[in-house]
Amino acid sequence: MIELKNITKKYEVNKNNTVIALNEVSLKINSGEVVVLKGASGSGKSTILSLIAALSKPTSGEVIVDNRRISKLMDNFATDFRRDNIGFVFQKYNLIPSLSVAQNIILPLVPTNPDEKDVETKLNEVLEMFHIKDKKDILVKNLSGGEQQRAAIARANINNPDIILADEPTANLDEKLSLHFIEIVKELKEQGKTVVIATHDPLFFNLDFVDLEIEIFQGSIVI
Amino acid sequence: MILSPEVLTIFILNTIFAIFATIAFMLSIRIFLKWNVNSSSQLQYTLEKQSFLSATIIKYIFIIKIPLFLFFIFTLDKLSNVLTGAMCGAGVLDATSSGTYLIVLKIINLYMFAYWLKLNSQDMLDEMQSYTKLKFGIFIVLFLFFMFELFLEGYMFSSFEVDKMVSCCGSLYSSSSESSISKIFLLKSSYLLTLFYGNFLLIFIFYFLKNRYIFALLNFTFIIISLITLITFFGTYIYELPSHHCPFCFLQSEYYYIGYLIYLMLFVGTFYGLCVGFIKELQNCYTISLLFNFLYVIFLSSIAVIYYIKNGVWL
Repeated sequence: MIELKNITKKYEVNKNNTVIALNEVSLKINSGEVVVLKGASGSGKSTILSLIAALSKPTSGEVIVDNRRISKLMDNFATDFRRDNIGFVFQKYNLIPSLSVAQNIILPLVPTNPDEKDVETKLNEVLEMFHIKDKKDILVKNLSGGEQQRAAIARANINNPDIILADEPTANLDEKLSLHFIEIVKELKEQGKTVVIATHDPLFFNLDFVDLEIEIFQGSIVI
Repeated sequence: MILSPEVLTIFILNTIFAIFATIAFMLSIRIFLKWNVNSSSQLQYTLEKQSFLSATIIKYIFIIKIPLFLFFIFTLDKLSNVLTGAMCGAGVLDATSSGTYLIVLKIINLYMFAYWLKLNSQDMLDEMQSYTKLKFGIFIVLFLFFMFELFLEGYMFSSFEVDKMVSCCGSLYSSSSESSISKIFLLKSSYLLTLFYGNFLLIFIFYFLKNRYIFALLNFTFIIISLITLITFFGTYIYELPSHHCPFCFLQSEYYYIGYLIYLMLFVGTFYGLCVGFIKELQNCYTISLLFNFLYVIFLSSIAVIYYIKNGVWL
């Protein structure tokens, strides 16, 4: 379960200018739920994702994931937590263009120094799951947007994390590919994963498999 | 005042250390007074960031300060060429009123800096940061020792008089010397050796009994007894001279810098032994401590035994 307790996050632009990204936000997400965070750009959606992923710390308040106070973790523990529990899908995919699809996907495994056979098995699993097995050895820069998105999702799943966070995942995709991404989210839910999507894409609104839609406005939850 | 390149290096480094240590000291006071690991307030998150910064500053100062101790000894030896009458670092230390206090303080600080580093690394491995308050509390005290050391060091190097005759180690480390150290020569070698080997035997026994407080205490007494036996007994076998007891000369090239190895074994062995007593989680330190103490005992004993085999007499 993911729990945010009275989270405030301020960004200090300079000494006289502080931006309040989140203001006393509290929310609970149960395991296996799909949650859509919706709101305009700058409303605080991505900040919530970065806090859940322990990429940043709140100014005050607490983030608890599976009874672990991750907002209190030091960087070295936060890195381990992220590696073991979180898969992150970014708006611009954040793939390394000069590496192949397979090399990009296995990248999160490298720090754990895993067995070669183990890597091969995990790689084949995600390549099949996200239908990009035929693109395995192609350089990422030669892929279409949709294929890059699938490679990014495969990379997010290579560690088999319980939580998938997606930040504006369809912002660079056309409608057909966006609908395909939605199908993938549905599959992830069926696998029992918790998925949190920050988006302002209306395609994600009112979907039958989405458990919770939360609207964020100027750093506060409005619905 | 002698401004050799070595002394100048020490002065510059000390100035840099003093500035950064002061910053870390001010942060440490705030952390020590207001740290509450259970709090999720803005202040606590700020303190967590500051604690990381402060610990990093202290860590790097201490990491540099520990090997700098060897550089300090090396500098003393080099200065012995400049001061009339000095044959090694012992004479240089005796040339000013603060020298002896400085070396004692440096040895104490050496152990405390190493302990702090160990405590810090343990804290960084602990998700709950259980040692944070303790480590900054210790640093607040340590800072005072540290600054006093820098002051004494500055004072010593600035108060040398090149034209003044100083004593050599031969006269300082002898029973006829008027220095306080001369009292150790009144103790019988057989009595000291019994204490030395007896202490090590007890360390060996308590290694198996795993009583961490007694193990640490035995390591503490081992430091003192080892230094005394090194000066009064084992040193003479290194020099192959019954009247030469200096704890500095064997750090020189004539003795192949063997003293650095001897002190390193003693420091590492006893340091890890002390750590066992102070940090509960460091159970693997038992073995490291025993190993280095064992090497120290074997090394010094073999020097004496080899001398006896070669010459057929004890010194």
